[in-house]
Amino acid sequence: MRYGKVAPWLFITPTILGLVFFRIGPIIAAFLASFTSWNVFSPPQWIGTSNYVELFNSGTFWMILRNTLVFSLMYVMGVMVCGLFLAILVNNRLRAITFFRGLYYLPVITSTVAIGVVWSWILSPRFGVLPNVLADLGVHNIPSFLGDSRYALLTLVMVYIWKMSGYHMILFLAGLQNIPEEYYEAAKIDGATRWQSLRHITLPLLSSTTFFIGIIALIQSLQSFDITMAMTEGGPNYASATLSFFTYINAFVHFRMGYASAMSFVLLIIVGVITFINFYARKYWVETVD
Amino acid sequence: MKRNLVIVLLATLLVASLSAFAMAEQITLRYFMWDPEFQQMEAELIRGFEAENPNIKVEMTALDPTNFWPRLAAMAAAGELPDVFSMSTGYIDTWARDGLLLNIQHLVDRDLNLDDYFYNVFAEDRFPNKDTSDMYAIPYAWVGSVLFYNKDMFDAAGLEYPNDDWTWDDFQNAAIALTIQSNPNRAPEQYGFWWYGRYSHVEPWVYANGGRILNENKTRIAIDDKAKEALQFLSDLTNVHGVSMAHRDMAGMRQQDLFPLQQAAMWVDGSWMIDHVRTVAGDSFRWGIAHVPKGPSLEPGEERSYYWPDSVGIAATTKHEDEAWAFVKYLIGANRPVETYMPGKVPIYKDIAYSEEWLQQDQQPGNMELILELGETPVRTTFNMGWSEWRGYASTGGAGMNGELDAVTNGQQTVEQAIENITRDGNAVLERYYPEP
Repeated sequence: MRYGKVAPWLFITPTILGLVFFRIGPIIAAFLASFTSWNVFSPPQWIGTSNYVELFNSGTFWMILRNTLVFSLMYVMGVMVCGLFLAILVNNRLRAITFFRGLYYLPVITSTVAIGVVWSWILSPRFGVLPNVLADLGVHNIPSFLGDSRYALLTLVMVYIWKMSGYHMILFLAGLQNIPEEYYEAAKIDGATRWQSLRHITLPLLSSTTFFIGIIALIQSLQSFDITMAMTEGGPNYASATLSFFTYINAFVHFRMGYASAMSFVLLIIVGVITFINFYARKYWVETVD
Repeated sequence: MKRNLVIVLLATLLVASLSAFAMAEQITLRYFMWDPEFQQMEAELIRGFEAENPNIKVEMTALDPTNFWPRLAAMAAAGELPDVFSMSTGYIDTWARDGLLLNIQHLVDRDLNLDDYFYNVFAEDRFPNKDTSDMYAIPYAWVGSVLFYNKDMFDAAGLEYPNDDWTWDDFQNAAIALTIQSNPNRAPEQYGFWWYGRYSHVEPWVYANGGRILNENKTRIAIDDKAKEALQFLSDLTNVHGVSMAHRDMAGMRQQDLFPLQQAAMWVDGSWMIDHVRTVAGDSFRWGIAHVPKGPSLEPGEERSYYWPDSVGIAATTKHEDEAWAFVKYLIGANRPVETYMPGKVPIYKDIAYSEEWLQQDQQPGNMELILELGETPVRTTFNMGWSEWRGYASTGGAGMNGELDAVTNGQQTVEQAIENITRDGNAVLERYYPEP
């Protein structure tokens, strides 16, 4: 059977239309909006690069940018280490292992708002389980994990890592199960310890999975929003806010669409640069079974 | 036969044209409100209106405030605003400036007997000048700031209940006496008072001292000495006397739960919290409300109360101005059942507000007439364009002036530093909305 020149285009037209109208179109519109003052209900006014000038002169923006980078770094490292640890833990043939796999995955599918509320209760300085147990054990001057600007971001990262580690566990598990068993058997015959097997077999052969997870985790970290909204609303005084949260606030609370669009483009550039570096560096550290 | 056919045709034409005429007279108003909890009662109210006005049909949509504003903003952008909608004091200036709201001053002047309403409350719906300009929305309810106090705790401490002669010293001494801390290594089991940077916690004290946070025309932050004195008084309650919790220590809790859960003996907030206290506390303790004590620097003639309305506005784009106004009049007037007002929210129509059904003297706090006194005095507020941004409200409640004052309660900065930051950052916001001429 032969297809004419038109048939392939007919098949990909819906995808192209979707891409143009729902992805590329809004991106171009947002880029243009970033050069305007636009509060949604009035026509946008062209103001050139004023939004970008205001952004880079804003102390709050730089603080939030720093928060974002700190958050991303800790989140990416956290979910990768925890995800890998859990994956190694559940990568065996114990009888109840599927139960444990499900258990570790449970936070991923649990409602974000529920997680936010429950963790807020656990950590609440006055009624929370954790501060009260610590106080009963004789620990004094327990900090307010969510109310103190020094700890709020760190606490949020921990909760995000707790929620998403199960997701990355599944990805790592898939990678682990692709590593041929013979390699470990050969290493064992050669007298390799468990650590040496992990260091010289597992980690190198997982590098393509690690690379993929790194990109996914980075994108997730830059989109962090829901738990932040449920637990701290970015506070105290933006101490736990990240760029995606701040973009939402400016767009849909203050109705500063132009300013928020400028912010989202800064975020886009950051994601682009980090992803490019990651792809460039890939050839130096990613190995495959072949 | 031919003649009969003509008669039938003529009769059909007549019926058709009469139906068309009747159809043309039937008008549908779209109404958006922000309180789904009261949707059913509001629907009954609408049925009453429709019965009195058979040519008008009202289609109501009720959304919670989180969804209400983004939806309304999108509709405004599309030129598709509903004819009538709930309007907040925090947004009215921006919406009036952008030409989205109908100027209803001529309708108010024409149709309303102002003595029937809490007329002072109307001021917040004027734009641009709150004293002299025209109205762009009209209140259906309003709330004022009151001092909640726990009678059982006062009795246990052997203290007199708050009264109108209370000074700030009296208040402070009571708060100290009401704070109970049995283990010095732990937080007090009971605080005498609770405040943080929230507008309804702070502004009442500033105005009770005759102070100002904004300049005269409300276009710039200009915190005067009397306001500074009030902020210092509040700061000392937390940082010197330890009678109020630091903001960081209430993380994970709702601020409005501290008083009803008997964690604090006194609390200043909006009167709509009466409903919340009743719901959470039930009959677990006895409580009352009082006026916020007058400050030491308040001079005669400077008395201003802090209250603000919930309003309804008409879209500037409505094609049914008369019908929309008729509906608005119905919403704010004598027909509105008292049950549609959350306890503590005061009906704008005086007869309803002064009725036994609204005063509910058989229920706590038992002295709601005290709130009505506020509405008879002149008002002062901080609401202006950009208010939610510089003041810190809703999803940004931890930022702006709120956040700076929270940092004061946390002992992270002094009142002077907070005022410096509030003035600098707040004016940066206000310069966008009120550029220098």
